[in-house]
Amino acid sequence: MQAGLRFEQLTNEEKHQHFMERINRGEKIEADDWMPDDYRTSLIRLISMHGISEIMGALPEKEWVPKAPSLHRKLAIMAKVQDEMGHGQLLLRVAEDLMAPLGNTREDIMQDLFSGKLKFHNVFHMEAPTWGDAGMIAWLVDGAAIISQSMMLDSSYGPYARALKRICAEEVFHAQHGESIILALAEGTPEQRELLQDALNRWWTSLIMFFGPKSAKETGNSNADRNIMYKIRTKTNEELRQEFFTKYIPRIWALGLTIPDETIHFDEETQLWIYQDVDWSEFKQIVSGNGPRSQDRLDLRRRSYDNNGWVREALAAQKAI
Amino acid sequence: MSEQENQFYNVYEVFSKKTDKASFQHQFSLLAPNADMALVMAKENFFRRETVADIWVVKRENIRGLTQGEREMLKRMDKNYRETKGYGYLKKKWRDYNQEQFTEKHIMGGREESR
Amino acid sequence: MNKAMNEQEQSALIELIYQLGDDDFILAYRGSEWLGLAPHIEEDVAFSSISQDMMGHATMYYHLLEELGEGDADGLAHLRKPGAFRNAILLEKVNGSGTYLEKPDYDWAFTVVRNYFYAVHKQIRLESLRLSTYEPLGDAARKIMTEQYYHLMHWELWFKQLVTSTDVAKKRMLSAVGKVWKDFGGVLTLGPSYSEMVKAGFIEDENLLKKRWLNRIDRIFEETGVPPQGEPLIESGNGRKGEHTQDLADALATLSEVYATNPASGW
Repeated sequence: MQAGLRFEQLTNEEKHQHFMERINRGEKIEADDWMPDDYRTSLIRLISMHGISEIMGALPEKEWVPKAPSLHRKLAIMAKVQDEMGHGQLLLRVAEDLMAPLGNTREDIMQDLFSGKLKFHNVFHMEAPTWGDAGMIAWLVDGAAIISQSMMLDSSYGPYARALKRICAEEVFHAQHGESIILALAEGTPEQRELLQDALNRWWTSLIMFFGPKSAKETGNSNADRNIMYKIRTKTNEELRQEFFTKYIPRIWALGLTIPDETIHFDEETQLWIYQDVDWSEFKQIVSGNGPRSQDRLDLRRRSYDNNGWVREALAAQKAI
Repeated sequence: MSEQENQFYNVYEVFSKKTDKASFQHQFSLLAPNADMALVMAKENFFRRETVADIWVVKRENIRGLTQGEREMLKRMDKNYRETKGYGYLKKKWRDYNQEQFTEKHIMGGREESR
Repeated sequence: MNKAMNEQEQSALIELIYQLGDDDFILAYRGSEWLGLAPHIEEDVAFSSISQDMMGHATMYYHLLEELGEGDADGLAHLRKPGAFRNAILLEKVNGSGTYLEKPDYDWAFTVVRNYFYAVHKQIRLESLRLSTYEPLGDAARKIMTEQYYHLMHWELWFKQLVTSTDVAKKRMLSAVGKVWKDFGGVLTLGPSYSEMVKAGFIEDENLLKKRWLNRIDRIFEETGVPPQGEPLIESGNGRKGEHTQDLADALATLSEVYATNPASGW
């Protein structure tokens, strides 16, 4: 930027250039800074989906909170689901501040969720019928989430990076909570091992889908490319998926579990995992609200939101005191 | 969106200090209908693991910050007459008199600046 | 306690600790059902901490029972029949219609009033237990009290703000006060062996504790304009005698669903 010139006097083009220079120097953008419209909308899309996925993600695990099979497990899973809600809180606050100039609030986020306009992660549309699923969610779904979140720890958007830093620190506890559950099952009775294997069979496809399609070809949009250009994220979906395989497949095998994909193997030549790709039209169906538990979980959230409307009204009226 | 719903969601910025001796630091923000609720929410939303010695909540609209343009006012030229680095030559001078130059340590009463 | 307890004293002590543990256990469970469904996200997080604390307190009490030869804590929490539970019936009642998995039409007013009244009582009870002649119980009470301050502050704030707010809120809160009042007597009683507990100095006289509770609640009622409610009742039965409702049986079935499939196995 020209010395002495006030920022407000710059043309939009100059502001954009200044913005890109800052990003490329590794500077962090803050909520009140000037930003290109598509940077703002990309962030809102990404972070509100991330935030609401944490909130919706509390629901499948919550099913197992009261049923957790010991006092210690009950406490730990309660703390873990609480953290998910807490992560949702942190992320929604980041998204809400980005939306404020557009006149939108948390109320709009909730309404967009209920109307289906705001989507949440594919994994949280799925069933979690046994305690094995609670373990699988905490171990592999959280494991996948850690990989995609930690990639954005150095995101160009400061508030997101700071929220992720806190979230990732708590995820370390989650990962260990998950490992503790699945190791107990893996070392348990044949029935307990079966719980675990069944859960892995149920979750494998969802885990592949978790990182999203390989390229824009499958989805027809290029959000990922734009997010990389703006240094919001640093890796492609496929790079993250490969990282996940490298980290977890050896452990899954070490526990004597079977991955429900006979073709999966590491190719020494390309240094990549070869695997059976999934049906991405099914993925689209699921995230559009047509997964096995999509509507039930949305109904839970909608119902609690409606039932507690009087509480929000009452406290809004209390503001004066 | 109704007027009332809007009032329920006020942004409060949360500050905390880790120990009695520490300074307050900005943490995160939350939505709450009033300051009392904000305080009660803040404790478990942000300090359920780490220790904390005190918490402040401040309604965001009461904070006057700088715009991106106004942040230009933070820039300035080097003013070494205000800082110790402008007086580096004193060390050599005192040496000529066989005296040691007083540093921050002597001036702060022998204490390292407490952090 | 320095001198050895006689059999009667020991059984009164065990009876008391079951009441303490079961009260916290079952209300913590009711709290955990709210997870993800509270009036707003920030409150969801705060409420969950309280449920965790209470579940932790129950665990401490069950460990005291374990030391007194009642069997291991997890077994006590997961394998007893409803008739062996000593919690007050008010605390086992469902949060509202539906279940936590399906169509939960939960009543926040009832939750606030029940938890607030219970938090006040728990504080008073802990202050008494702090001086218990059974030292492990006194130690536990002192530890638990450090967390109780926040619970009380949290629920008192919710109670005051809702009951002094809109007409809708006031109506819902007063109706919840009425509902809770009908069974709060069940929380305040120490059950059939109460005179043994008091004589041995495990806890103070239940009438004394009740008076303290009424004094404190009266003050809040006066401050917030809630009409006096008279004597708290025990309408639905006395949980201290092992009398319970279907709500408890259903809750225990959920709580032990996984554990009971194989109690001997590690989980």
